[in-house]
Amino acid sequence: MCAVKKKFIYAILFFSPLVFIFLSLFIGRYHVPLPAIMEILWLKLTLGYCNLPDTYVSVVWDIRLPRAILGALVGGCLAISGASFQGLFRNPLVSSGILGVSSGAGFGAALAILIFSTTSYVYVFAFFFGGLAVLMSYMIGRVYNATPAIMLVLGGVIVSSVFSALISFAKYVADPYNQLPAIVFWLMGSLASARYQDIAAAGIPMAVGIAGLLAIRWRINVLSMGDKEARSLGINTTLSKGIVISCATLATAGAVCVSGIIGWVGLVIPHIGRMLVGNDNRVLIPASLSLGACFMLLVDNLGRVITGSEIPLGILTAIVGGPFFVYLLKKTKGGGW
Amino acid sequence: MSLLELKGASFGYNQQDIFTDIYFKIDKGEIFCIIGPNGCGKTTLLDSILGILRLKRGDILINGGSMQKMRPHEIARQIAYIPQAHNKTFPYTVLDVVLMGRAAYTGIFSSPSEDDVVIAEEALALVGLTRLKSRPYTQLSGGEGQLVMIARALAQKTPLLIMDEPTAHLDFKHELTVLETVVQLINDTGLSIIMATHFPNHAFYFENNNIKTSVALMDQKTFSQVGSPGDVISEKNLMTLYEINAKVVACPIGNGGQLKQIIPISTIS
Repeated sequence: MCAVKKKFIYAILFFSPLVFIFLSLFIGRYHVPLPAIMEILWLKLTLGYCNLPDTYVSVVWDIRLPRAILGALVGGCLAISGASFQGLFRNPLVSSGILGVSSGAGFGAALAILIFSTTSYVYVFAFFFGGLAVLMSYMIGRVYNATPAIMLVLGGVIVSSVFSALISFAKYVADPYNQLPAIVFWLMGSLASARYQDIAAAGIPMAVGIAGLLAIRWRINVLSMGDKEARSLGINTTLSKGIVISCATLATAGAVCVSGIIGWVGLVIPHIGRMLVGNDNRVLIPASLSLGACFMLLVDNLGRVITGSEIPLGILTAIVGGPFFVYLLKKTKGGGW
Repeated sequence: MSLLELKGASFGYNQQDIFTDIYFKIDKGEIFCIIGPNGCGKTTLLDSILGILRLKRGDILINGGSMQKMRPHEIARQIAYIPQAHNKTFPYTVLDVVLMGRAAYTGIFSSPSEDDVVIAEEALALVGLTRLKSRPYTQLSGGEGQLVMIARALAQKTPLLIMDEPTAHLDFKHELTVLETVVQLINDTGLSIIMATHFPNHAFYFENNNIKTSVALMDQKTFSQVGSPGDVISEKNLMTLYEINAKVVACPIGNGGQLKQIIPISTIS
C-alpha cells in the first residue's frame, strides 16, 4: 500500500466517527426539519437562546445526540477490546467477551432486575459483575503463578458458562410479565435509554480503558509473540497483560452496562481493521476504535428507522455486519491471512 | 570477569530436579554449544539463563552482577533469544517483527522511535533480508523466518545471543545460511552465542571457522563434559550420551582444510 493511500485511509478513519455522530442527528422516526437541526446545534454550541419548539430541541439535543455519542463509545470500546484480546491471546477468534465480561454483566443486569424490579440499578450491577467475571477468569488462569494465554481462555470459558447458566436461572425464576421481558430485552442490547448521565457515568471507565489500550498498543504486538519471546524481548509480561486485561475490561464493562449485550462487534470489527490497515497494533487498535464506533452508529440508525418499533442491536449487528464482512473478505482477499 | 557465568545453577519443579550444579562461563566472541539427548533439560537451562525461570540454587552472573535481581528489560539488553520454531499468528511485516527487538528500550506506554526503526533496518541488512522488509513474515520460508528471528535479536543490541536449535526444520541450504550468518556476526561484531543443538557437527563447523568454540555434553541433569569440540565429541562420549555407535571422521573440504563430522551408525541394543 502506498504512503498517500495509507494517509488517506488514516484521515478517513480519524474523522468518520465524528461524521457518523453528526449524521445520526438527522435520522429518526420523528421528523425534525433540517434547518431546525442545524439551528439547534449552532445555538446550543454558542449557548444562544433557542425559540424553536421544545420537542425539536429535545429530540435532537437530548435524545439523538447522547444516543449517538454513547453508540460511538460503545462500538469503539467493544472493537478496541476485541482487537486487544485477539493480540494478547494470539488468537484471531477471540472477542471482547472472551474472559466472561458479557455473561457476567448479563447476570448482573438480570439480578438487578429481579431484585429491584426496575432498571435503575442495572448499570451498577452489570458493571460490577462484568468486572467480577473477568477477575474470576484471571484467577483461574493463574496456575503456576503465571498466566498462560490458554489457561486464561479456559478460565473465561468456565466463568462464561457458569454465568450463562445463572442468567438462565434468573430468567426461569423471573416474573414472566415484567421482569422476564426486561431481562430478555436487556440481553439483546439497545441504546434507546441513552442520556447524558449515562455518558458521564459509563463514559469514565470507557475512556480510561480506551486511553490505556491506545497507550499500550505497541506492547500488544510484542505480547502476541507469546509469553516466552515477549519476556526475552524485555517485557514484564504479567504487568503488561494485567494492564491490557484491566483496560479492555473497563472499556467492555462500561459499554455493556449501558448497552446490554451486543455480540459480533468485538470479534469482527478488528478483522475489518486488519483488512484495511494491516495487523500492526499501532495502527490496528485506533482503527478498530474508529470502525467500531462507525459500525455501531450505522447499525443503531438502521435499527431505529427500518421498522416502526426498534430492532435490538444485538440482532442487527450480525445481520448487517455479516454480508459486509463477506464483501470485504472478497474485496481484500483476506488481507494477508 | 566473564560476559556470562553460571555458578552451580540448579532448577527443578517442586521436588523434581531438571538440572543441577551447572558451571560454565562464556566470554566475548565465543560460542558455547550445549549438546544432549531430548528431554535432558537444555531448553529449561536456556529459559533460566533468559531469566524466565528462577533458579532453585546457584547463581547466574552477567558481567559479574547477579541476574536474580535484574528486571526483564535489563536482562533483555544483555541477552537476546532466538527461538527454535516460532509460532506465527498474525501476519506482521518483517520490519514490524524486527522492531519488536527494541521493546527493552521502549517504555511500556510508548512505541518505537525513528531511531529504533533505523536500528531494526540495520539488523535486517546484517542478515541480508532488507528486500523482504515489507512482506508479511508468515509468508517467508523457514530459513528466512529464522533469519528474521536473528535480526530481531540483533536489534536488541545485546552482547550475547541464545539460540535454541536454530536450524531445526531447515534444509541443508538454509541450515548453512543460518550457520554462515552466525559465523559472520561473531567475526564482525564480536557477539557471543550460547546454542542448544542436536547436531554436534555444528560445533565442528564453528571450530573450523576459527571461532573459539566450547561444547558441553548435558546428561544426567548436568554437564558431564565441557571442552573443545575435538576433545568432547568423541565416539566414546557419543556412546554414553546418546547410546549410539558413531564414527567421527575427518573429511577433506578442498582448500587443504578438513571438517570433522559425526556419522551415526546404529543404536546400542
